[in-house]
Amino acid sequence: MATATVEAPAAVRPAAETGSPLARARQRLYLPFVLPALAVYLLVFIVPSLFTVVLSFAEWAGAGPIEWVGFDNYRRLWYDDVFHSSLLNTLLILIGVGFLTFLFSFGLTMVLREMAGRKFVRAVIFFPNAVSALAISILWGFLFQADGLANALLRLAGVDTVPRWLADDNLFYVICMGLVWVNTGFYTTILMAAVDRIPAYLYEAADLEGASPWQKFRNVTLPLMWDAVAVSATLWAISAIKIFEFIYVFAGAAGSVPTTKAWTLSLYAYAEAFQPTGEARYGASAAATMVTLVLIVVLTLLTRRVTRRESLEY
Amino acid sequence: MATVPVRLRPGRLLVWLVVAFDLLVLLWLVLSSFKTAREIFASPFGLPADWRLDNWARAWEVSEFGPAILRTVAVVAATALGTVLIAAPAAYALSRFTTRTSGPLTSLFAMGLGVPIQAIMLPLFVAMSQLGLVNSLGGLIIVYVATSIPFAVFFLTAFFRSLPGDLEEAAAIDGAGPLRTFWQIMLPLARSGLVTLVILNVIGHWSEGLLSLIFLQDPTQQTLPLALLNFMTRVQYSGADWGGLFAAIAIVILPLLLVYIWLGRRIIEGMTLGSGK
Repeated sequence: MATATVEAPAAVRPAAETGSPLARARQRLYLPFVLPALAVYLLVFIVPSLFTVVLSFAEWAGAGPIEWVGFDNYRRLWYDDVFHSSLLNTLLILIGVGFLTFLFSFGLTMVLREMAGRKFVRAVIFFPNAVSALAISILWGFLFQADGLANALLRLAGVDTVPRWLADDNLFYVICMGLVWVNTGFYTTILMAAVDRIPAYLYEAADLEGASPWQKFRNVTLPLMWDAVAVSATLWAISAIKIFEFIYVFAGAAGSVPTTKAWTLSLYAYAEAFQPTGEARYGASAAATMVTLVLIVVLTLLTRRVTRRESLEY
Repeated sequence: MATVPVRLRPGRLLVWLVVAFDLLVLLWLVLSSFKTAREIFASPFGLPADWRLDNWARAWEVSEFGPAILRTVAVVAATALGTVLIAAPAAYALSRFTTRTSGPLTSLFAMGLGVPIQAIMLPLFVAMSQLGLVNSLGGLIIVYVATSIPFAVFFLTAFFRSLPGDLEEAAAIDGAGPLRTFWQIMLPLARSGLVTLVILNVIGHWSEGLLSLIFLQDPTQQTLPLALLNFMTRVQYSGADWGGLFAAIAIVILPLLLVYIWLGRRIIEGMTLGSGK
């Protein structure tokens, strides 16, 4: 694992430190060290986030007077079909793509546990995460062009009526498949690292008892990797909601956005505010972002609650 | 071991299929970048009949990649430097000094990891345009540094915490002040963590899309991701120069791929950090 994750003893500082000249000198340095980062963080994260909350109750086009409209923005979202499908798509990515990603990641982790060449496999399946999401997404779209690679393979397999992958109705599923592809590499790597820390003698003991692969997974691997699973779930909830570039690339033309059928909440928030053709609707964008934030908070709490177990020492 | 269950064999086949798929996609990208549009579709995996290097030249020129790459390199370098300069002292102080606020502040920074860009982009855009910092690389750098802070602090506090405390005490006994201890003892010790952070930062911003779309709307200021997006649009309008598009994608991906081949383990471990203990 990363050098940074080496377990550190809780008390790295000597107890007698407080009051010593060293401690006092350090006290004086504490503020100058922390303040720049804190100032930037407050100015660029905290203040704008609060302002976005305020904006979600207002009508504003970026300049001129701010008009207070109460819950109007939210009411409009409630009746907006595009918002509904954006929300639905976000949930579909969260749950559908998440389920498949974790299913494959668990599968790959189990197979890779006792396989030769696992480091190489890990390096290859992780690579889409380490290069440009933008370029990977363009490449993914290209696989599904009318006479692209996917259809060529289908024809080879004897399928004559190939699907129109990039049609408005299908585009989102193509995007979802791409997300599963990219993220499986990421979460397999995380789970693998956790499984690597499980001592081999536990498996040897299980073998002696005649445990089946499933029993070994259920009673040895899963309980001991549970912490990593919990963190991965939280990580997924947060990052899934943020996904933007991978979808944005599927826009047809310059400066425009993809078909609304493929929108997620992040696309919606961007398009409402920055779409070059339409007027800037900052209020609606801010309200959609508030929904996103609530979703993130609820999901983070929920995954924590669901995955909470007593962590096992080994 | 002779205990490898036979049942997992189809699983292995599947793993290798996935690996083969990833490698084939890469191979296909590189081969296609040397082919004519017709050839790309007719024989996806055949070698190009004649290697069309002019795809690369065309992609480079039409997309104006040259200046875009220069801008991107400047932005990425300044961002990484700025991030380290601001985050490293903060992370050091938060992880090694005993104060009442260090715990809560560390959590406050970590909270930023969950805040999506959408939540800050509107007020930030308005504020930056009033300061005249939209359509300027300096403005983009400021935004990048700021949005890098939560992860950088989170990453580096974990790293500093893992370093032994003895050296700090020894330095103090030898009469080094805390500032000198930080600069001459702790920073060099943390070098590998800092390097990892810089690599991740550079990879993340090399083709960052959302913020550059918002803050660089002037085509003469475009960075690499915007140049690629514009080129993609142009290709679709002007009679399908697919070979050129593949060359353009290759130009964007190749530097990252080389870095990945060179520093793969470190990148993987850095990106999946936080999932460990």
